[in-house]
Amino acid sequence: MTGSPRPVAADPVSVSPARRFPVGTLAYAALVAVAVFLAATTPFSGYVLNILMQAATYAIAVIGLTVVLGLCGQINLAQAAFFGIGAYAVGLGTVDLGISFWLCLPIGLVLALILGAVLGASTLRLGGHYLAMVTISFQQILTLIMINWIPVTHGPDGVPNIKRPGLFTDGQSYLALCVFVLAAVAYAVWRMPKTRLGRAMRAVRDNELAAGVTGIDIYRTKVMAFAIGALLAGLGGGLFAGSFTYISPDQFSFAESVVFLTMALLGGVGSPVGAVIGTGLLILIPEWLRFLKEIPGLYLAIYGLAVILIVVFMPEGIWGFLGDQVKRLRPRRAAAPRAQDLTLTQAAASAAPVLEVEGLSKHFGGLKAVDEVSFTVTRGGIHALIGPNGSGKTTTLNVLSGLYTPTGGRVRLNGQDITRFPPHQRAAAGLGRTFQNIRLFRSMSALENVVIGAERPGNAIVAHDRASLEARARAALAFVGLEARADEPISSFSYGHQRLVEIARALAGNPVLLLLDEPAAGLNSTEKNALTVLLRRMAAKGLTILIIDHDMTLVSDVASHITVLNFGRRIADGVTATVLREPAVIEAYLGQESTEGSNVGLKTDLATA
Amino acid sequence: MRTTRRVFLKSAATVAAAGVVAPSIIRPASAQGGTMRIGMVLPVTGPGADAGRFALNGAKIALEAVNKAGGVLGKPMEIVTEDDQTTNPGAVLAFSKLASQPDLVAFLGSIRSTQNHAMAPDILKTGKPVAFGGTDPVLTQLGNPWLFRFRPNDSFSARVIAEYGVSTLAKKKWAIIHSTDAFGTSGAKALTDALGKAGATVALDQGYTNQSQDFTPVVLAIRQSGADVIGSYFTFENDLGIFARQLRQLGVQAPWVGSASIVNVTALKLAGPSLYNTYGVADYAEESSDAARNFGKAYRAVMKLAPDNQSSWTFDAVTVLAKAINAAGKTDPKAIREALLAIRGHEGAEGTYNFDQNGDGLHGYNVVRNDKGNIVFDKRIDFYKG
Amino acid sequence: MDLILQLLFTGIGIGAVYALVALGFVLIFRATNVVNFAQGEFSMVAAFLMVVFAVDLQWPYWLSFLLAIGGMAALGALFNLGVYYPLRHRTYLPVIISTIGASIFLANTTLALYGPQPQVLPPVFETQGFLIGPVYLDTQYLLIIAVTAVLVAFQYWFFEHTLLGKKLQATSQDKEMAALLGIPVAGMIMLTFVYSAVLGGIAGILVAPVLFVSIQMGATIALKAFAATIIGGFGDVTGAIIGGLALGIIETFGAAYISVPYKDAFAFIVLVAFLAFRPQGIFGERIAEKA
Repeated sequence: MTGSPRPVAADPVSVSPARRFPVGTLAYAALVAVAVFLAATTPFSGYVLNILMQAATYAIAVIGLTVVLGLCGQINLAQAAFFGIGAYAVGLGTVDLGISFWLCLPIGLVLALILGAVLGASTLRLGGHYLAMVTISFQQILTLIMINWIPVTHGPDGVPNIKRPGLFTDGQSYLALCVFVLAAVAYAVWRMPKTRLGRAMRAVRDNELAAGVTGIDIYRTKVMAFAIGALLAGLGGGLFAGSFTYISPDQFSFAESVVFLTMALLGGVGSPVGAVIGTGLLILIPEWLRFLKEIPGLYLAIYGLAVILIVVFMPEGIWGFLGDQVKRLRPRRAAAPRAQDLTLTQAAASAAPVLEVEGLSKHFGGLKAVDEVSFTVTRGGIHALIGPNGSGKTTTLNVLSGLYTPTGGRVRLNGQDITRFPPHQRAAAGLGRTFQNIRLFRSMSALENVVIGAERPGNAIVAHDRASLEARARAALAFVGLEARADEPISSFSYGHQRLVEIARALAGNPVLLLLDEPAAGLNSTEKNALTVLLRRMAAKGLTILIIDHDMTLVSDVASHITVLNFGRRIADGVTATVLREPAVIEAYLGQESTEGSNVGLKTDLATA
Repeated sequence: MRTTRRVFLKSAATVAAAGVVAPSIIRPASAQGGTMRIGMVLPVTGPGADAGRFALNGAKIALEAVNKAGGVLGKPMEIVTEDDQTTNPGAVLAFSKLASQPDLVAFLGSIRSTQNHAMAPDILKTGKPVAFGGTDPVLTQLGNPWLFRFRPNDSFSARVIAEYGVSTLAKKKWAIIHSTDAFGTSGAKALTDALGKAGATVALDQGYTNQSQDFTPVVLAIRQSGADVIGSYFTFENDLGIFARQLRQLGVQAPWVGSASIVNVTALKLAGPSLYNTYGVADYAEESSDAARNFGKAYRAVMKLAPDNQSSWTFDAVTVLAKAINAAGKTDPKAIREALLAIRGHEGAEGTYNFDQNGDGLHGYNVVRNDKGNIVFDKRIDFYKG
Repeated sequence: MDLILQLLFTGIGIGAVYALVALGFVLIFRATNVVNFAQGEFSMVAAFLMVVFAVDLQWPYWLSFLLAIGGMAALGALFNLGVYYPLRHRTYLPVIISTIGASIFLANTTLALYGPQPQVLPPVFETQGFLIGPVYLDTQYLLIIAVTAVLVAFQYWFFEHTLLGKKLQATSQDKEMAALLGIPVAGMIMLTFVYSAVLGGIAGILVAPVLFVSIQMGATIALKAFAATIIGGFGDVTGAIIGGLALGIIETFGAAYISVPYKDAFAFIVLVAFLAFRPQGIFGERIAEKA
């Protein structure tokens, strides 16, 4: 409900290697088999059975929130509505239409999936608390329809006598079915962060802008996450209808959506384990406290207090908290195989320019931040875009990478017109970039960050399987000198090293053109020298780089070609040494004397040039 | 932070452990008492908490009387309660929790129809008699042999509202106002049918959702429809109170015959003068019979409060269950069921109980009038034909 | 015409209630970036305090009112310390859950302490209302509208023309910057919670004679006030007022001319329409994130 939803849990899933013999998976399968067997055979009382069935079916819906909120960072306050769609599909299907349970369930899933996708597609561009609002609205409207559209939904009477599927008419076997489905869903979602889609979701959650420029279709990823979340809610709902064999609208109200959300967050939204813990706990706490029933309200008051205390002492949720303890105990992993040398392929033979910018403009209201700027970046080597503060450099870069839509003009990359492309399509066309204020995916390790870069759509140099992607990522990290720390979480890196990781992420994608936004900002002089060396090495590999920076030493050291902007207009363009002597350029920088120190750098440059 | 966190976790673990252990400590202690136990599902929290309190009071008064008269099969009777939180899943869990205790011989269900619907599958599975107060006629037509209704169902209330309005008040143009919940919609449907049969017209059939904050549009619609009498099915007293006040404020003076909630204690307290001179179709009316008067006296003595239908049905249910178990001579559910079905002419606070094969015990209603806040018995209309 | 005027009056009256509660939402949201799910419970608690003082103890109305408001200020302070403050460095999600927990806690504690029966709080004025031409004006609703107007004026004056108000504004816009300027941020947030609790309390006391005093009263109003907050553009004080009034009017007319059972849906349909066509709300809020 704020402008930018953020992840809550540092992902506890992120460090399990899978290439070795899948001991974990087998152990899990054995555990599930035992659980299913126990569910089917232990003679539970009706009360325990009801609690377990409620917990199992709710947990499936809460795992849906793990996907949409935990992995993708999008809030959904209509989970109970999707739960209800699944439940009503099964209820109305088996009772009124006499269709088999096995047919009704998938119908409910498809309905939930479609409605989730439509709702997501129409609102996910808004994000934040607007998304919360729209989902609440959807929830309320659906509840009113369930109540008032009596000929179809039976209205507030609800739907009694719902049929269970043939083999599972008995409560115990049905519970076993629910437990099995829950286990399967939990497994799938547990694996999800390691899949391409899961990585994309986490990237979107951690940093939307960075996700876009590394080639992830943000909008599509969000809609997918939202639809999967809705689908799981529908699945849980369908099973819920079968377990209680009676449903009514008040079971799928906004209050229940809030309960689902509380379950997810209390247990730990980052993992399906948290979802299961949270669901179990929130169902069990009030049941445990029933012995306090003599004073009306007391036990629910204690329950409310328990919710506050858990959140205050374990803000990452219970599993987030436990996961941290487990992580601390886990031994460090053995060193990974030695990284290969990083290859950067360039169609060097072609003489055509890499980037052509023609008459590019970006106006904000009356302000012409970029005004009819044209320049060309030729293949190979480093091209610098400079100018004093407020000259329009960063705006130009943001227009080039697709974060702003230009007011006018044209941009061609490798001859392809990309003027109207969104960021991820530009990335697919071969554009890579870094940000002045570093934008990394902060819940991930350095390696995972760079793997996302390597995964850039259109990156033909690497096969998109896990081993190749990781090898490529390691090579990129090795190139910037951070190979040894590949598996460390990004938060443990210094500012300067984070900048290098960001560059490695862009390099791993083998870009046609790399945009560097003030890479020297915030670096100390040693780091700056290292950066200079790195930039030269990158250029030596044949990569084309467009760099923006204030630091004249750096620019004059590495750039072969310079374009100078001032007040949104191009005031000079040409070979470095020549441009830096042009009176207009000197004036532009000297005019800034009182506000900026960079003119000193300029003078020294001129003196040495 | 670290130490406080540890302390918190430790105490949380202790509380959790205590929660698991505690019920199992309590249970054997009470089970060994050699009592005849019945379970009761009632709202202690949520919007129905108020009604739940009244229901428990009625049951307790009956319990005392039963035990004073020697108990059931020579043992004192005991009531075990569980909170249904005024929700359907809550009711299901509460009932199944009670049902998992094998020594409970019978149960009191809910006064809310949807909750009884929700519990019905578990009731069928449990296979023990459940006395309930929900008035949706469908409940006793589900083919569930364990459901016994201790209030007249809405097909009767609708017929009484229609008959009283059309015959006694001589009004033919009706406005029906009802909640859109299960109780309200089924009541309104039955009333529409009954009015059709009585030759009256329905000028307005207006539903509203529970917990509305404002009824101005509804009242204006009544004014515009030109109806000369109002029939109503309200679920919650605060809705009824707001509607009553706005009805009078906006100058609608048509007579109003409402379902039972119009004369219950909370409604009278909330709406005050706005309800003067309205008519209620009440399953419980203090002046309707000696049994009702006696219950009223006992209730006032204990609670210092006027009794209403929320306590009278549980009073009757506990009394009748005790009677049936004594008649059956054993606690076998089938025997209790047979004994319940065999009950004829039992004079309860709500009226005379004659169970039919569906499990409906009552077949008529009382019409009462609100005379400056006092509920005055007018007449009883009963449809039971031996 | 009579009908329209009558509906308009009712709509504005009920809208003013939504607006008052929405105001509390907005203030806390602006200061902490978090939606307070327990805002409705503030109204409920204040109404119950009022019943205890004015009805049960028979103290004078004005004294009861002052005591109830004082109680709300204390509750606001406690709420800040117990529910928000320990989580202030966290993202908005744990805080939301914490406020949900607080809402369950407040509602059920009141239930445990006072019991479940709904209560009546007598209105301030003896006369229930009067007719102007064909339109019936309820005095309590007139009072609600008047108080809302006064509070809005006060709010404007406070935030725009007092140093404390400006400090509060600075805090809500940029906590770090405010701290650098020497503004005691924690104190400002404390003040915001106290003020929001008082606002919610005033709303609760004002609607009590109209809607009765019950444990559920808070939850019902809060959901609508929430919708009003969005229609007005999140985080905008003027917007919340307009949103509340608009919602009250839309709802009342929608119920009268379209459907009573779907009354609660109109608010949300309008809301979705707003988001589709004017996502920045009535008064606007930037939603684009800067690069």
